[in-house]
Amino acid sequence: MSKDILKSNFFELFELPVSYDVDLNQIQQHYMALQKQVHPDKFASGSDQEKRLSMQQTSWINEAQATLKDPVLRANYLLQLKGADKDQGSETTMDAAFLMQQLEMRERLENIKNETDPLSVLDSMAKEIRLSTKTMMAGFTSSYEENQFDDAREWIRKLQFLKKATTEINALTADIEDELMS
Amino acid sequence: MALIQIAEPGQSTTPHQHKLAVGIDLGTTNSLVATVRSGDVSTLPDAEGRHLLPSVVHYAEFGVCVGHVAQQKSITDPLNTIVSVKRFMGRGLEDITAEDAHYSYTFAETDSKVPRIKTRAGNVSAVEVSAEILKKLKARAVETLGGELTGAVITVPAYFDDAQRQATKDAARLAGINVLRLLNEPTAAAVAYGLDTGNEGLIAVYDLGGGTFDISILRLNKGVFEVLATGGDSSLGGDDFDYEIAQWIVAQAKINNADKPEIKRLIMQQARSAKEALAEQEEVEINVDVDDCQWQGALDRLQLRELLTPLVKKTLMSCRRALRDAGIGKDEIREVVMVGGSTRTLLVREMVADFFECELLTSIDPDKVVAAGAALQADVLAGNKPDDEMLLLDVIPLSLGIETMGGLVEKIIHRNTAIPVAKAQDFTTYKDGQTAMALHVLQGERELVSDCRSLARFELRGFPPHVAGAVRIRVTFQVDADGLLIVTAREENSGVEASIDVKPSYGLNDSEIESMLRDSIDHAEDDMHLRSLREQQVEADRVLEALDAALATDGELLLSEEEKSRIKAAREALITVKSAADGEKIKQAIKQLEATCEDYVARRMNTNIKIAMQGHSIDEYASDSEAEVEEP
Repeated sequence: MSKDILKSNFFELFELPVSYDVDLNQIQQHYMALQKQVHPDKFASGSDQEKRLSMQQTSWINEAQATLKDPVLRANYLLQLKGADKDQGSETTMDAAFLMQQLEMRERLENIKNETDPLSVLDSMAKEIRLSTKTMMAGFTSSYEENQFDDAREWIRKLQFLKKATTEINALTADIEDELMS
Repeated sequence: MALIQIAEPGQSTTPHQHKLAVGIDLGTTNSLVATVRSGDVSTLPDAEGRHLLPSVVHYAEFGVCVGHVAQQKSITDPLNTIVSVKRFMGRGLEDITAEDAHYSYTFAETDSKVPRIKTRAGNVSAVEVSAEILKKLKARAVETLGGELTGAVITVPAYFDDAQRQATKDAARLAGINVLRLLNEPTAAAVAYGLDTGNEGLIAVYDLGGGTFDISILRLNKGVFEVLATGGDSSLGGDDFDYEIAQWIVAQAKINNADKPEIKRLIMQQARSAKEALAEQEEVEINVDVDDCQWQGALDRLQLRELLTPLVKKTLMSCRRALRDAGIGKDEIREVVMVGGSTRTLLVREMVADFFECELLTSIDPDKVVAAGAALQADVLAGNKPDDEMLLLDVIPLSLGIETMGGLVEKIIHRNTAIPVAKAQDFTTYKDGQTAMALHVLQGERELVSDCRSLARFELRGFPPHVAGAVRIRVTFQVDADGLLIVTAREENSGVEASIDVKPSYGLNDSEIESMLRDSIDHAEDDMHLRSLREQQVEADRVLEALDAALATDGELLLSEEEKSRIKAAREALITVKSAADGEKIKQAIKQLEATCEDYVARRMNTNIKIAMQGHSIDEYASDSEAEVEEP
């Protein structure tokens, strides 16, 4: 780890190799060890400068953890480190079959309340998404490792779709469960 | 300036001095103060041996009274006796709904958005009323402990939004309390149970108080309490139970004048007593004797169940959402900590146990557990336990966002993000020559501005005029460890710090607070001077002691000769003015010394982290990361 937390990149912070494959356990353990050093509670009776620094460092560590734990944010961050996170002008078109799939899923979600057993439908949709997420992640890994950044960005966009769908499925599930309960 | 200690554990560089610090549970119904004395945590009783201070403030003909005496006035003089004021903290006039009407206050018409309750002592805000309660608790602590307090940890419901937290901090400031930290109530309870020691795993804290409900899911690991998700309802609690029961009594007894403030309060009290009695017995007798209505009846547990089940179900819905947010299943929860007076209601315990299908922890008095946890944390924060491993990692309960085109909210920081957290967002101008920009900050989960809570409006001004889109304003949203939002902005191209005018939507602005502070200290001027002088002298000693300890440890290592002599000069200057009877001068000299040490402090922090992390690496990753450990 370099000397200054605020100048270390997220992988350096957790002493990880810069790679899409990360050891979540190691992140968690390093996260805790760092928190024990820099958290504002350690400087509650410190000077204003110490408080400010500690708040900034803890914020940075929190952001690092959140970024590396999330497949989409982590992928984006890797490209950012390569200076390849933004589209380089060549507007790529999304995979048409994938888009169709997404549209169908959206429609199904919109009409979910008409299903006889909406909860099990949502559950199986969530499972499907988990499976395709794995495929997309593998896709990103190989594109990234071969420096195919246009393709890598395409994989990220797909992962983003899936992430959003998961959020929606979770929200709908919670709503339906609440309705059933009251 | 506590220059951090690099000394090995047990090899303290300064003599240990116990600081007086307390934990305060500022509750809807009752408040408490607790402290750690010779290693044991306990709540502090008043002269009559009562630990709970009813959160009731009575504005009498002459003066203000708080607690039990005020509670007695609640029925005879309801309009001048404020109960459940916590419900109004950080709230706007439009938040005061029909359900709050049963408190029967009259709200004053003012141009401020902060509601003020009309009393014979003038119009008072929730912050001022809360400050009275805090003053009372502070006085109790100072008297019992025999000295001024270093500071206090004050608890808030985890689900409190920014405005509610800020209001709580303002109240403390008004009461002359140095807030070491605002701590979430469920987290405090987990600390009180000492669940960290030898415990690992996931727990839930179910906290149902008088007016608020919180659920937190925590992961425990070697002294660290990590909050994974939190949820709840900041206006659901035992008061609502009482209200349901009161409605039932009114209907059964066919009371006609139930809207009269005196009757309302009386029936609410009867409802509460009945609820409490039913925790012990199967059935309770109720006698109503008001105006022209006499009624005798009974309420049994079955009826109570019918009345309260919908409310308890609402809390369980929040539990399930919190579990989902934490990404864990019900079966992974090992224990449920029960907190808050309302968890005495048997139905609550039964339904919660059914839901989580695991053991409920109820061994610590649910009224005292939060204050006790806060006291433990205060003891650590005051620096009384330098080697303590305890660490609390909390999250923000509700998303923060800004208003965008079309009345939509764009989320910038999502709920359940670990705090402190900072997010930067760039904005640009849409008109040529534009030099100001307005930002509207909101908190909540919904998409429409009108469905979220308005926190503040900011006006950024003073950036150079350019063509549309050429100006780049970077706004940083920083949430601190108290869960409070700080917004800063700068123009990226010119580096100009844009000034920000904050218009808190519901909080009191700084000038309002200042004037309240002035009012409360009016003729105590001389006293104030003396106190401030003494405080500054103590602070100077502390700073010098910390500096000397630091210099002895690593001054040679980290400082150049030139830096050392500059620090020494500032140190001498402080020693010289220390004995002068001028608090302001001492303060300046402390500031000067701190400014001189700025680089040194930063260097020490980084060195310290590096040393600690290397030690950590050697311990835990010796096998696979030796290369990194070798790195200088």
